[in-house]
Amino acid sequence: MTGDTHYDLDILAGLAEGLLDVSTARQVREHLAICDPCGERLADLAAVREVLAATPTPAMPMGVALRIDQALAAEAESRRGGVGLADAPDWDELMRDSPWERQRPPVEAPEPVRLGVVATDGTIVPAQRRSARRARWAVPAVAAAAAAAVVGTAVLSTGLLAAGGGGGGSTVGPPVAASEVPSKQQERTRPYALTDSGYNYSDQELDKPLGTFLGVAPIVAGDPSEGDKVGACVTKVSSRTKLNVFAVDQGQYNGQEAIIMASWKSKATKRLRIDVVDPFNCKNLRKPSLGRW
Amino acid sequence: MNSPPDTPSAERPAVSDAELLTAHIDGDPHAFSEIVKRHRDRMWAVALRTLGDPDEAADAVQDAFVSAYRKAGTFRGEAAVTTWLHRIVVNACLDRMRRKSVRPVADDELIEAAERDTPLPDQTIERETSMEVSAALKLLPTDQRAALVLVDMMGYSVEDAAQVLSVPSGTVKSRCARGRAKLAPILSHLRNRSDSGRVSSAKGDRTS
Repeated sequence: MTGDTHYDLDILAGLAEGLLDVSTARQVREHLAICDPCGERLADLAAVREVLAATPTPAMPMGVALRIDQALAAEAESRRGGVGLADAPDWDELMRDSPWERQRPPVEAPEPVRLGVVATDGTIVPAQRRSARRARWAVPAVAAAAAAAVVGTAVLSTGLLAAGGGGGGSTVGPPVAASEVPSKQQERTRPYALTDSGYNYSDQELDKPLGTFLGVAPIVAGDPSEGDKVGACVTKVSSRTKLNVFAVDQGQYNGQEAIIMASWKSKATKRLRIDVVDPFNCKNLRKPSLGRW
Repeated sequence: MNSPPDTPSAERPAVSDAELLTAHIDGDPHAFSEIVKRHRDRMWAVALRTLGDPDEAADAVQDAFVSAYRKAGTFRGEAAVTTWLHRIVVNACLDRMRRKSVRPVADDELIEAAERDTPLPDQTIERETSMEVSAALKLLPTDQRAALVLVDMMGYSVEDAAQVLSVPSGTVKSRCARGRAKLAPILSHLRNRSDSGRVSSAKGDRTS
């Protein structure tokens, strides 16, 4: 551009915002010094800022504020109603590594809070930690071996317990019992349908009727090692929820190994409770939710 | 109910937003409403100006607060809670604008909603200006509009706006510059009006 060409608003706005390179900026300034129309346009630009700044920003209308209060109350209520206080998941475990948990002692049952595992970005640390073991079909050899070891341990402890219960004189039983013991009834005849879809669930899918997912996968017959581990976990969950788990699928939740369990809240209305737990410690990977079949 | 944004309620005077959010995550049933109370006016202003439609703005702010309530756990503390909230609100607005072109709104409706709770000293001039501004803003692409609302209307720094919009500062600056360049011819007559105070008549005689 030369001295006798005017500058357009984009250039002038760029100048005002410091976006032009040094030499262009100098040229424009020199031009502005001698060109009234361009000076006017620059003033117009400045006026835009003033006018925008002077436009009143109103307070939120009462009606909107009330509406939001109601929506939030409903949100809190749906959580409370959806999953009872009594069967709140293990929040200590879930929130253990979260930044906000570091300096404060864990809280007993903070039920209205949606589990931070929030699907969309997977920012919650516990989820990521455990996701070291990814899809079953993509497990590197070492991880697979480690996983096998975990399963092996579980089988072993079950075996020990059985031995102890058999009157073999072993005293191992009680200490082991605390965490990992499956109740006997679960071991052979499962009162639930066990499937192994490997499907990667997200919150969206879990909001849909679950029958379309859990109903279609082939039922796993008798895979003792996996089955017992799952069985122990199902027992834990149903003792936590006081509901009968009727369908169990081994898959993933947001890319992380997970067991999805469905229990009837009301069979008549096909309302169910969905628990998503990790297969190793049987901890909830997300807040239990209400679902449909 | 309608307390100003910066007045925390009596029983929790010096609690920070971050502490409130932590309390909410820990299950305090009142913490989140306190956050809402503190920031709803600002969030409303941002949404109303960005969307230019009170109904849409109400939906967007409601969605945003519910979403913030749900995903409080993802707040990571490196940004201010207000920035985080703004981001959720702005994104809710942008989503809305992208999903469907917002219906054209009668400006009267907008102004009425805007002034329902805040009667202005001089209704006519303010009203006219406000109407023209909101009509003009609607002519801008959404990105430029969002940037101008935050920086020029709400008075946030370019850096804060950049954080809210999740773009570099330079991007905010260029969006603002391009937006102002588009608005300048439309709003230039208001310049004289604001220069000369209340004389609102036909002073649109800018030299050219």
